[in-house]
Amino acid sequence: MSVKKDLSIDFLGVKCENPFFLSSSPVGSNYEMCAKALEAGWAGVYYKTIGIFIPNECSPRFDITSKEGTPWTGFKNMEMISDKPLEDNLEYMRRLKQDYPTKVIVASIMGSNEEEWEILAKKVTEAGVDMIECNFSCPQMTSSAMGSDVGQNPDLVRRYCEVVSGATHLPVIAKMTPNIGNMEIPAIAAMEGGAKGIAAINTVKAITNIDVENMTAMPVVNGKSSISGYSGAAVKPIALRFITQMKQHPELKDVPITGIGGIETWKDALDFILVGSSNLQVTTAVMQYGYRIVEDMISGLSHFMEDHGIDKLSDLVGVALPNIVPADDIDRTFILYPDFNKDKCVGCGRCYVSCFDGGHQAITWDEKERKPVLNEDKCVGCHLCLNVCPVMDCITPGKVEMKPGVKDHEVKIKTMYE
Amino acid sequence: MSKITKKEYGEEMEKGFNLRTAMEEASRCLLCHDSPCSKGCPAGTDPGKFIRSLRFRNIKGAAETVRENNPLAGCCAQVCPYGKMCEQACSRTGIDKPIEIGKIQRFLVEEEKKQNMEFLKAAEPKKEKIACVGAGPASLSCARQLALEGYSVTVYEAQDKAGGVLTYGIIPTRLPQEVVDFDIQTIEKLGVEFKFNESIDAAKLEALKSDYDAVFVGAGLWKSKMVDIPGKDLEGVVTAIDFLREAKTNTDQLLLGENVIVIGGGDVAMDCVTTAKQLGAKATIVYRRTIEEAPADMDEVSFVQSMGIPIIQEFAPAEIVGENGHVTAMRFEGRDGESGLTMKTDQVVLAIGQVVGDDVAGIADGDNVFTGGDMVNGGKTVVEAVAEGKEAAEKIADYFNK
Repeated sequence: MSVKKDLSIDFLGVKCENPFFLSSSPVGSNYEMCAKALEAGWAGVYYKTIGIFIPNECSPRFDITSKEGTPWTGFKNMEMISDKPLEDNLEYMRRLKQDYPTKVIVASIMGSNEEEWEILAKKVTEAGVDMIECNFSCPQMTSSAMGSDVGQNPDLVRRYCEVVSGATHLPVIAKMTPNIGNMEIPAIAAMEGGAKGIAAINTVKAITNIDVENMTAMPVVNGKSSISGYSGAAVKPIALRFITQMKQHPELKDVPITGIGGIETWKDALDFILVGSSNLQVTTAVMQYGYRIVEDMISGLSHFMEDHGIDKLSDLVGVALPNIVPADDIDRTFILYPDFNKDKCVGCGRCYVSCFDGGHQAITWDEKERKPVLNEDKCVGCHLCLNVCPVMDCITPGKVEMKPGVKDHEVKIKTMYE
Repeated sequence: MSKITKKEYGEEMEKGFNLRTAMEEASRCLLCHDSPCSKGCPAGTDPGKFIRSLRFRNIKGAAETVRENNPLAGCCAQVCPYGKMCEQACSRTGIDKPIEIGKIQRFLVEEEKKQNMEFLKAAEPKKEKIACVGAGPASLSCARQLALEGYSVTVYEAQDKAGGVLTYGIIPTRLPQEVVDFDIQTIEKLGVEFKFNESIDAAKLEALKSDYDAVFVGAGLWKSKMVDIPGKDLEGVVTAIDFLREAKTNTDQLLLGENVIVIGGGDVAMDCVTTAKQLGAKATIVYRRTIEEAPADMDEVSFVQSMGIPIIQEFAPAEIVGENGHVTAMRFEGRDGESGLTMKTDQVVLAIGQVVGDDVAGIADGDNVFTGGDMVNGGKTVVEAVAEGKEAAEKIADYFNK
């Protein structure tokens, strides 16, 4: 009886029953895995990248970052593209499309030269997939002719997109690397080469931790380690930024984007949609929790749409974009003071500590009452106190005051904090 | 000096979660592959699912699972003996302590109420009509299930309010009345009709059997067992049922002694003694066996002990002594055959068990009659009554579909 809104949305002319896809990664490595995911409710899969090159993987190959009681704030992965024979992978994709005709199967491919890109494009087209994603962005390939080294080079991106687009009638998606300053440059190159959509972001080159037992990075592989791709919740802000910048670029604003990077809940998914993604991909959260997380993505997004009277998911795509503006367009004419709820305050003094050591010394500490007291003369309205307070609804946005000489005007504020 | 729990009558037991603290607790959940907690719930409330939804910020979806699966979700969240059910099954226990499942459920029901969430929708109306006798947990559960399936349901209740033991028994500190009322509202909204002050006996049952296509009887246990000792008819000797009902419905006018002795070792006895203490009496519990043998839930016993209430064990009632027709003392005999105990008292509350009321005694499944809840199982938990009510609803639907 659960509320089931219609979450279907087109992506590059392909009807998807919902926006939730597995990204090309270990979570979609064979027929059995993809089939289980599709049964669980995922609308489609970007099958793990295939190439002519067959990698030789290391062991172990993962590491995580954690903060206090929260494990997996980020995830590091050294695995490359599929290590299964090409023909097996093509057969799996063929069978998936046959057995799940209403689901969407996307082939992710990676070549090391034009000939390989062309062969791969032809073979996956013959296998009957719905779309092709060109992986220009895996940061842990053992060859510099492949992966993010290619994605950083707009000329190679353009050329390979031309080759792939010339070898297939299917829509082609270029998967971007975030290991670059301006993603718009390779994205525009991909469009010039014939790609129809952009996938962003792939993993961020990283070192998660140093192991002092072996004096190397994690994971430790026979006493050594390498820089490799970082993903999960930690990279979501980076992904949202790249996607926003592309969607705000005049040459890219109409290009459909499939958003990737730390999606774990329906709210994460919504964030990606609101900055312009019309398709979404998930790996890290699936590796941690399993395919089942899609149930709450579907249910949560349905409830949100129901509560906000939204009937078509596409009506939400890019809704936040007009309100994300350059820093010099921000209204800097007022101060929004924090309001302290004395009844809720438990007297921990964290706001006092942070305001003194990291802010503007605008809070004094009433030692007898063990409560903070705001000094408005010093407060700049930065809201560090609100962000550090551990008690829900204790410090909240309070009164708005215009800076000297500013004409009073209406100010929109956020009122609900979780 | 020991610090004892002092709670006014009706004061809530503990603060509930807010979103932030609920999320913290949900993030302790191991999200087990096979959710043993869900298997531990007789009513199928499915904590594995609703905690996962909360963990992934689908708060409304979580509240939906709770409400759809458990018609008395709010009440169960407060009074369930989780320690014997879902929380006992929790895998997190292997690391430190179980997830506070009941408290998470309570948070979700509170959100449901606060945000006016509505999840239940009755199916297309069906032609059959059902009467449910009693408005306690089993009957309410059966009524809701049938109403959801589109059947027309009328509940007959002897008292003037719905809830049965929830409304007239369990103390408000453990179960605030507004929680009971909210659960019942969600059932009323499905179109279930309530007829109050309508007690049913064998003759009236016959009429219901012909007026309705099926009858569910979940009339509970509303007759107190009595002790057969001298002085049992003295003024000041009351039954647990009467005492708790008076305390809840007529708190200000309750006739309360100065020295109250409660006889018994079940949850009802614990509720009586805390009520007496909360309302200002010097209250004592006397039980003929040991606490180890007592049927009361350990949480209830702990609550009684936390209030500084003496629990005297292994003394059985022997005589109630009176003057001018009113109780003045009570005499007990030790289980060891030698010890004796006499206590000054002006009120004795008998909480030694309940049986089916005379009017409905002997009613059993047959023809178009179905039964469930305490009157069938002899008196178990609210959640088990909910489960039995649901099962009975299924049997009734099967009966119609034959």
